[in-house]
Amino acid sequence: MTVNRLKILVGGVQLRDGVVTVTDILGRIFTRAGLHVLAMERGYASTIYGAHQFDPLVVSEEPPVSWGDPRLDILVALDYDSNPDAREQPNRDTILRHGRYLVDGGVLLYDSSTGEVPVEPLERRGIKVFPVPARTIARDELKLDVVKNMVAVGALFRVLEFDQDGTWLRQLVEERFARKGAQVVDLNLRAARRGREVVESILAARGWPGSGYRLQPRPSAEPRVLISGNEALSLGAIAAGCRFYAGYPITPASAILEFMEEHLPRFGGRALQGQNERESIRAAIGAALAGVRSMVGTSGPGLSLKVEEFGVAGMTEVPVVIVDTQRAGPSTGMPTKSEQGDLYLSIFGGHGEIPRIVLAPATQEECYTLMIEAHNLADKYQCPVFFLTDLNLSEGRKTVPEAVFTQHPVTIDRSTLVREADLRRDGAYRRFALTPTGISPRLVPGTVGGVLKASGSEHDERGFVSTDPAVRKAMMEKRARKMETFLREDARPPRVVGSVDGRPALVGWGSTLPVLLEAQQRLRQRGVEVAVVHFSYLWPFPAALAKPVLERASVLIAVEQNFTGQFADVIQACCLLPVRRVVKYNGLPLYPADVVGGVEHILHTGESHVRIGTEAPAPVKVSEGG
Amino acid sequence: MTDATTPSRVSQKISAKVWEENAVPRHRIQWCPGCGDFGVLAGLKMALTKLEVTPYEVLLIGGIGCSGQIRNYLNGNGFHGTHGGALAYALGAKMANPGLTVIALAGDGDTFAIGVENFVHVCRRDPAVVLIIMDNGVYGLTKGQHSPTHGRGMDIREWSEEAPPPFAPLRLALTAGATFVAQSFSGDPRHAAEIYAQALQHPGFAVVNDFSPCVTYNKFNTYDWYRERVEDVPASHDPSDFQAAWELLNDFDRRGRLPLGVVYRHPRPKKAHGRLPIWPEELQGADIRPLLQMMR
Repeated sequence: MTVNRLKILVGGVQLRDGVVTVTDILGRIFTRAGLHVLAMERGYASTIYGAHQFDPLVVSEEPPVSWGDPRLDILVALDYDSNPDAREQPNRDTILRHGRYLVDGGVLLYDSSTGEVPVEPLERRGIKVFPVPARTIARDELKLDVVKNMVAVGALFRVLEFDQDGTWLRQLVEERFARKGAQVVDLNLRAARRGREVVESILAARGWPGSGYRLQPRPSAEPRVLISGNEALSLGAIAAGCRFYAGYPITPASAILEFMEEHLPRFGGRALQGQNERESIRAAIGAALAGVRSMVGTSGPGLSLKVEEFGVAGMTEVPVVIVDTQRAGPSTGMPTKSEQGDLYLSIFGGHGEIPRIVLAPATQEECYTLMIEAHNLADKYQCPVFFLTDLNLSEGRKTVPEAVFTQHPVTIDRSTLVREADLRRDGAYRRFALTPTGISPRLVPGTVGGVLKASGSEHDERGFVSTDPAVRKAMMEKRARKMETFLREDARPPRVVGSVDGRPALVGWGSTLPVLLEAQQRLRQRGVEVAVVHFSYLWPFPAALAKPVLERASVLIAVEQNFTGQFADVIQACCLLPVRRVVKYNGLPLYPADVVGGVEHILHTGESHVRIGTEAPAPVKVSEGG
Repeated sequence: MTDATTPSRVSQKISAKVWEENAVPRHRIQWCPGCGDFGVLAGLKMALTKLEVTPYEVLLIGGIGCSGQIRNYLNGNGFHGTHGGALAYALGAKMANPGLTVIALAGDGDTFAIGVENFVHVCRRDPAVVLIIMDNGVYGLTKGQHSPTHGRGMDIREWSEEAPPPFAPLRLALTAGATFVAQSFSGDPRHAAEIYAQALQHPGFAVVNDFSPCVTYNKFNTYDWYRERVEDVPASHDPSDFQAAWELLNDFDRRGRLPLGVVYRHPRPKKAHGRLPIWPEELQGADIRPLLQMMR
């Protein structure tokens, strides 16, 4: 009997079967029950209706290190007929795709409304199969099609011997559906009860004492939330004083726009859905020019369209935070698959040389804390600050203690803004004054006593256009000096887990940190000690802080979700150290087993570039739109 | 950096002279002698002086090209970024601080070629921003290539796919939903100043297309050419009547004449909003706990 440790995958037909509704209910209830939930991989298609969708959840008593490997304990298949491509195999889409990842002795629970599925191969592996005619029950008995999801939830809860008296479910259902009336609440609870009864009868008929899995609530006094990366970074921006947000709909960044549209007004801010990517960033620059903390969010294709404004923000020294929730590219690439492919664009994108800061959070918690730093850094250094998340981190949800968001007071540092009292009203104000730090006093238009002239063309200290070689030289140096000041005062070294000395070091950035940590543990069990060196401050590259750490390692192995190993290149260029690389770019998340395999391969063969992630093709053709 | 005394907002004596402080001195203006943009500059100074706006509260967003230089030749806050972007920066700045007098100053290429997407949608959004288009029919700063309004008044046989007929600024503004549509001529700065003043007082998006001859590259649409064709909008015209505005344009086109004055002005009901928080003390006490509650 496995208690309080399992991985569930819920699958079905996109938009029809309510996969996300089910995992959301499960995630919320498990979190409330004091368990930890991590859902970092979300499988959906870039089409609206009909394609296969799946959502795996890791549930455990202690916070899980990472989302683990594709291995599953429990598979819930909500499809009641099938993907059109699998018409000859009714009900089997989810089972065919994910059944092979079920562990021996695992559980399959599926909607048997259109007949039972042949499952002998699974049963031979000791997998307990629960056919539950959820849709038939919902439609014929309860006369409400949508409660089929609740039948499945109730059935799963019985399988897990969880919530025997229905308290957790009742509470959530009442919160959700109270608006729709007592009858709807009652129907949902009846549906869950019917699911429970079906499982009960299967257990009795098969003579099984239980499913082999159990979840027990672990109520804790500490309030916790189930939060996505997009939500966490939006909260961070609001806490940091961001009061203008502009975005253009794009997967997977749209959720930030929707969040901001809904919540920013309550904090006195405004969100703008731009008519295109360029209007969004320009409006954000306009708002920032007017003194408001301002942010845009987008994904790769949208970032490409914003490139010309990187230079504008850099040259006019207008602070703006640019969130890039990376997805697989190039071009439209795979809009619903994750990758870390936009590092070069963030660091080098744009013509000329642009002062900029590039940050990448590792976890949902860091989406919040690092976002606060992003806004303060943008303000202090008056330049674009890039914030690189990716689809898995942005849409992935995780149980996080509320204290992460509430325990530390947020400092809003706007010390480089000048007020009326700072100005002498003699016309002496210089927006781009040459200072030792490179940071000039910033004026908000409307402040009596000074005017600012800001130009994307090269300009003198007062902001007037100039091509005087001496002015140009001084201004380039001033802007570059800001980045030197940043490296001296604010850049952070990589976090190091384990001892680097004479050992191989796994080097990573952004969302892959949890996987590196789990790979490190697994390698240790296999007798290989490695250190993990992880960067959240990517650019300007903190070479003075990083090189002394990196050069102590016996071999550097960068692990990235892209083809070339973009960050490995940056390290090689900035530290003059050779970096080997393990890369994955097939659209699937990075799994700890991938890292372990890649690292062992490098250590045994001395190869420098390992490309991993060969998967058997999906047994059912993927039907997707463009 | 803090002064001993905190100056309070004292009303400043606004004279035409005020607009020459914090600006590029006249002898360093880079426009060609006789450029139409001088007329726009003069008209704008007159309008701002008349309305007693202080330079502190003015934000001039310049476009790219000769027209965009105007932001440096006039006191007041100034900004310029990318080609075609002026209106979008202006939109953001106005949303952030409605107290600013935001004026976008761009050319016809800037507005109707690369910037047309922003233009059309800013017409729909209707922010209280003034756009003055310095319409000269050419790209002046890049030495005279065709711009969207190139060929105004030319023989129809001269048009081709690579040199299409001129763009109709007022018609696009009207159909895209602009609530103030007017035309001026920089050969008559006093009249232009009148139009600018009305535009500045309009509570929504105000488009003023100004005929601003390029004396160097547009040898066809000269001052004299315009003087022969411009004609004031008749006093009997009711600018609040959309149909009448459209008919007026048709009538002027039929007669080969160019209207000067306010063609359309409609008060769209506007929801006022406040300035967004700027200073740290305005940002204090953002309590995110209610948002966290939803995620439990």
